[in-house]
Amino acid sequence: MIQLKQEVRTLKKNRDVYDFIIWTVLAIAVGLVLSFSFLPMFGISSIDAMKIMITEIFSSSYSMGNILVKTAPLILTGLAFAFTYKAKLFNIGIQGQFYVGCITAAAISLKMQGHAPGLVVIILAALGSVAGGAFVGFMIGFFKAKFGANEFLVSMMSTYVFTYLNLFLMRTVLQESNHNYIKTDYLDKSVWLPQLIPGTAVSWGIVFSILVAVLVWFVLYKTSLGYRIRMTGLNKEAAGMAGIKPERQFMISFAISGAIAGFAGWIEVNGMQHMMLPDFDAEIGSFGVGIAILANSHPIGILFAALLFGFLQVGGTALGHASGAPPSVIELMQGFVMLFVLMSFFFRRKIEINRLKKLKSENEEVA
Amino acid sequence: MDVVISLIFRAIFMSTPLILGAVGEIIAERTGMMVTAIEGIFLSGAWGGFIGVYLTGSYTVGFLTAMLCGLAVAMLYGLTTVYMDQHQIVMGTAITILMTGFCKFFFRAIFGTPTTPLKIEPLRVIKIPVLSDIPIVGPILFSQNIISYMTYVLVFAAGFIIFKTSLGLTLRSCGENPEAADVAGINVRRVRFWSVAVAGGLGGIAGAYYCICNAGMYSAEIISGRGWIAFGICFLGNWRPFSGLLFAVAFGISDALGIFAKTSQIGFLPTEFFNALPYILIIVLTICRKNLKMPANLGTNYVKEN
Repeated sequence: MIQLKQEVRTLKKNRDVYDFIIWTVLAIAVGLVLSFSFLPMFGISSIDAMKIMITEIFSSSYSMGNILVKTAPLILTGLAFAFTYKAKLFNIGIQGQFYVGCITAAAISLKMQGHAPGLVVIILAALGSVAGGAFVGFMIGFFKAKFGANEFLVSMMSTYVFTYLNLFLMRTVLQESNHNYIKTDYLDKSVWLPQLIPGTAVSWGIVFSILVAVLVWFVLYKTSLGYRIRMTGLNKEAAGMAGIKPERQFMISFAISGAIAGFAGWIEVNGMQHMMLPDFDAEIGSFGVGIAILANSHPIGILFAALLFGFLQVGGTALGHASGAPPSVIELMQGFVMLFVLMSFFFRRKIEINRLKKLKSENEEVA
Repeated sequence: MDVVISLIFRAIFMSTPLILGAVGEIIAERTGMMVTAIEGIFLSGAWGGFIGVYLTGSYTVGFLTAMLCGLAVAMLYGLTTVYMDQHQIVMGTAITILMTGFCKFFFRAIFGTPTTPLKIEPLRVIKIPVLSDIPIVGPILFSQNIISYMTYVLVFAAGFIIFKTSLGLTLRSCGENPEAADVAGINVRRVRFWSVAVAGGLGGIAGAYYCICNAGMYSAEIISGRGWIAFGICFLGNWRPFSGLLFAVAFGISDALGIFAKTSQIGFLPTEFFNALPYILIIVLTICRKNLKMPANLGTNYVKEN
């Protein structure tokens, strides 16, 4: 009997993974088809658009590399959201922490380039952006833990505060030398992240992102810290009984989440953009939420979800260049994909429940 | 003196959409539904309202289309959260992303890329006879537009409905104790779905206010976080329409100060500070307020056990 139960359990686990993949792929396909079906409004037939998108992307190694360039920060923002989500907390302010990371990385690089060896500056910028993001995240967690402030509201609002703070800094102390535009100077080549694949824009950022994903997976599932965080998320009261202080987990998970988001800022500034602009990657935070949802906030799943979003972004841009479709088709695709994936969770669960019910009634008949 | 009066006029003027959105949000949150899609609802309202006014020239049609757009988005949100049990915050984020793309995409599909921004005549103010002649109060309160007047009435009506009628009791019971409400024969899911729809309708009008009454044009950045301010007002106002009104006016003042600072070049504080002020205020006030009476089941979906 026990053996049978175990067999059923492993079978069920395998089937869960299969189900998840099949349903998610189906939902993504439905979302994409629906978005493409609106393109004839711009005089582009949907099938042509799909062909253009794929041929444009795979026509050169440069545009294929761009997918990896876009994917790197998306992995990190996805991980940042997933990390707090595991503790049943909502860090919707990833965008703000990302901006803090960006501006810290840009400021450190600009002020120190030429005064110290490039590698030292790069490392300092990375440490600075991680520390900046972690500090902001920690403060949100601190407000939640000590004052019971709603972390969702506080983190949401902090994004706007930091957006305006960045604008202020870029208009004043960090403004480019000619004082014409609201942006910073270009970073010196010596403080750029080194290229990974020659002939493309791919920097070491993607490698670091994947490493962070593996690290997050390890921390969440293989260390006692991750256990404490997940337990707080599953049942705060039970965790408290077991001697885990939920308040402390709030602060820790928020600080780590902020650190990951800040690190994404460093990858974007030192690895890709090489300067800081207003409205820079303005939706990377909410895409992070979307990616974490697509992957059911599993760190390894996030790698693939981020790759999909990166693919859609590059594909959408290419489509716009080649056919005159508006670039907003990217957001439309991502929005529909997220919507249908969320809906697929419902249908999957419903079918699962029906199956269990049937199994139960069959068992009762046998008994 | 004139400066102060115009500042306060502006504050009331800019607080109207916030309180509209907040009242809708309060009604929904009293039933336990956080309408986290509010940013997307505002945006769709602004988009629908502009298109309605631009194509027909009628403000009534504009506000009607805005309301319908907000309603449609809210119903999508209600369908997926209430009936399909998806997480409210997660769903709200997804719908906001979708609406950002949707509005940009279909604005371009309808109007192409115009070389100069498309303009509409902003809605005129209505001076209420006699009352608008009262010094100070007259020019501030009784020289607003029709939406503002309706909003004043709505705040009190909503307060009355929520706290003094049996409908209000029904709404609140769904947010405080859905199991008990269910046992008492209330269809919790239906109540929640339709209160979200009401929030959507009001949010749609609120979004349209920004382009029809204020800017006279539409841009993708027209809302830029105002929906979240309405969401915050709902929390800070302790889920009471009237206290929400006070906070909305406070944010209206900070909005008006921002515009004032931009035009009159106050040297000592950067304009970015005024732009960020509402958000800073919400953070500080959320941290400071201790006696919040949050609906007990806010944010949790009600799943009937079977």
